[in-house]
Amino acid sequence: MDSRFLMTLQVAVVGAQKIGAVPHGTRVTAPIASGHFEGPRLRGKVLPGGGDWTLLRSDGVLELDLRITLETDDGALIHMASFGLRHGPPESMAALARGERVDPASYYFRTTTRFETAHAKYTFLNHLVGVSSGDRRAEGPIYTIDEIL
Amino acid sequence: MQTRPLMSLRFSTAPTQNVGAGPHGTRITFPITGGSFDGERLRGTVLPGGDDWVIKRLDGVLELDLRVTLETDDGALIHMTFEGIRTTMRREVRTFVRCRVSRPRHRNTPS
Repeated sequence: MDSRFLMTLQVAVVGAQKIGAVPHGTRVTAPIASGHFEGPRLRGKVLPGGGDWTLLRSDGVLELDLRITLETDDGALIHMASFGLRHGPPESMAALARGERVDPASYYFRTTTRFETAHAKYTFLNHLVGVSSGDRRAEGPIYTIDEIL
Repeated sequence: MQTRPLMSLRFSTAPTQNVGAGPHGTRITFPITGGSFDGERLRGTVLPGGDDWVIKRLDGVLELDLRVTLETDDGALIHMTFEGIRTTMRREVRTFVRCRVSRPRHRNTPS
């Protein structure tokens, strides 16, 4: 299966809401305040108001469920949703929990992404599935998103 | 079916993000900036950071898909989601509500 680079995306998380231990695991909601994205076919900023609804399962895997609105530099709004998994060796996970910079190759952080837009220039996004590889930083994750061809 | 009031819930929203006509209809996202809820067994405020992802279908009906975090006046955080529909025929909104809460003394609402 072939893929090609779509964009990098960085989001800034503010004030994580620690719901705590719930029926399916431990839930933390991370509101997203801002961000930016850039690729050969689109670039712009992330609007405030989205979030990442995360659930740490009992097997140690973190489920990520993100929804944000992107605004391109020429004014198109794009709805983006992604679902992913993050897990890794205990030492990497502990370092991430302490807010340290960890080599993203040392853990697994992958999401599938979908987009919706009304803007004619960007309707190609309505027709593709993306897969991203994440790099979790203390200030918010950086995703490298590829289009699956 | 018998029901009883659980709470009334009020939201304040930021300016809407009008994504426009997409493959499922016209998409409008309402960022939620705050609010309050009040009922016999729980009351408190809505934390900023949630959203209602709304789709206006071709038949004119609005599909609602909301996620928010509630904070009770005694400090419990509650994850709440609902999906619902709103029609122009009736001003009321019908939703299906699910809650997730971490403190056992707040029982989860039946869904």
